[in-house]
Amino acid sequence: MSSRMLPSYTRSVAVIATIGLCLGFAFSNARLDTYSALLPLFEWMETTPFGVIGKTWGAVFATVQAVHLLAMAVLGGAILVSDGRLLSVIFTDVPQRQVQDACHRLFVWSLLLSIITGVFMACGVAIKVYYLNVFWYKMLALTVGVVFVFFVRRPLLRHDIENLNPWVLRMVAVASLMIWFSVAATGRWIGFSG
Amino acid sequence: MNQLIYEFATWLDTHSWSTQLHESFYMYNLVESTHVLALMVSLGMLFLIDLRMLGLAFVDIPATAIAHRLLLPMLIGFSVMIVTGLLLFYAIPVRTSQSLWFRIKVVLLIAAAVNAWLFHRRMQDADSSAGGSWDLAVKAPRRLQIGAALSLSFWVLIVICGRLIAYDWFDCRGEPSTFVSTITGCVADQTQF
Repeated sequence: MSSRMLPSYTRSVAVIATIGLCLGFAFSNARLDTYSALLPLFEWMETTPFGVIGKTWGAVFATVQAVHLLAMAVLGGAILVSDGRLLSVIFTDVPQRQVQDACHRLFVWSLLLSIITGVFMACGVAIKVYYLNVFWYKMLALTVGVVFVFFVRRPLLRHDIENLNPWVLRMVAVASLMIWFSVAATGRWIGFSG
Repeated sequence: MNQLIYEFATWLDTHSWSTQLHESFYMYNLVESTHVLALMVSLGMLFLIDLRMLGLAFVDIPATAIAHRLLLPMLIGFSVMIVTGLLLFYAIPVRTSQSLWFRIKVVLLIAAAVNAWLFHRRMQDADSSAGGSWDLAVKAPRRLQIGAALSLSFWVLIVICGRLIAYDWFDCRGEPSTFVSTITGCVADQTQF
């Protein structure tokens, strides 16, 4: 859903409706029903080739974990440079558009690699992570991060960035840094839980 | 040499702070998490510089601008990694010093540091000889590209070795083969692991 497809009033209504739906989901039985319904999926994940390899060969699992970390490093680098430019602390003499576009391309590739390696890792320990609260916090943070980038940040920065209110840019940058720090921190937390 | 390293590690292990750090659930995990999360600053910046030199990212932005502007945050990230890395070694000195992966990681770290030093010298040479004419080219001169590719390779291997330290496949406690035992520095009749 591109920002160009909807006028701003419709977008505001869509955002409020989405938040309302999420809150309704969180505070109703639907959340528990969905959680229970997902157990067979996680049991199946452990039987997939990814799950079997992850459980059988520790060296492969560890190497994929390392690749996941490397993808996170590139992702982190792209986010820090992109948000640093929005906050005017880095590359202030380079046009916003150049920095944002270059960082976004790198972000998309590293996000894809993180997700592929993350799915592999989750398959190897699917039942364990299913019962870990922190795993669901990470999935929530990741979803918020992806939605924020593709439905808020990117559509906003498609406009003439130089003419946007600097405080809006700063708020977007701070929100982005907080969201992605939460994704990384909860991911690390999974490592020493359970 | 291995005997010396073992004695040094067992001496570190006698420190009460080493034991306290190892046994503190929150403090140990905080240090370990900081070590891992600092990757995003240090390696994140380093990879952006290397990818620019190889013409794979930020091709519209001058190469030297990328290299110079990202140097400070990269060094801050590496400083945090070094401090937390030393603390992690201090918390478990004997096992870590006799880990095959840790030893490979140290060799790779030295190689990466030498490569970084050579890379910066080559960049200064390229600046002075070409007068900065390569700065806007999609790819950096060949020698800098080789340096960037080596840097990426070294750091990929360093992260993999760092991750493998957690596994005990070649630990001295498991009585490895003579070859592995020599490389990992197992000491005859050692009492501490």
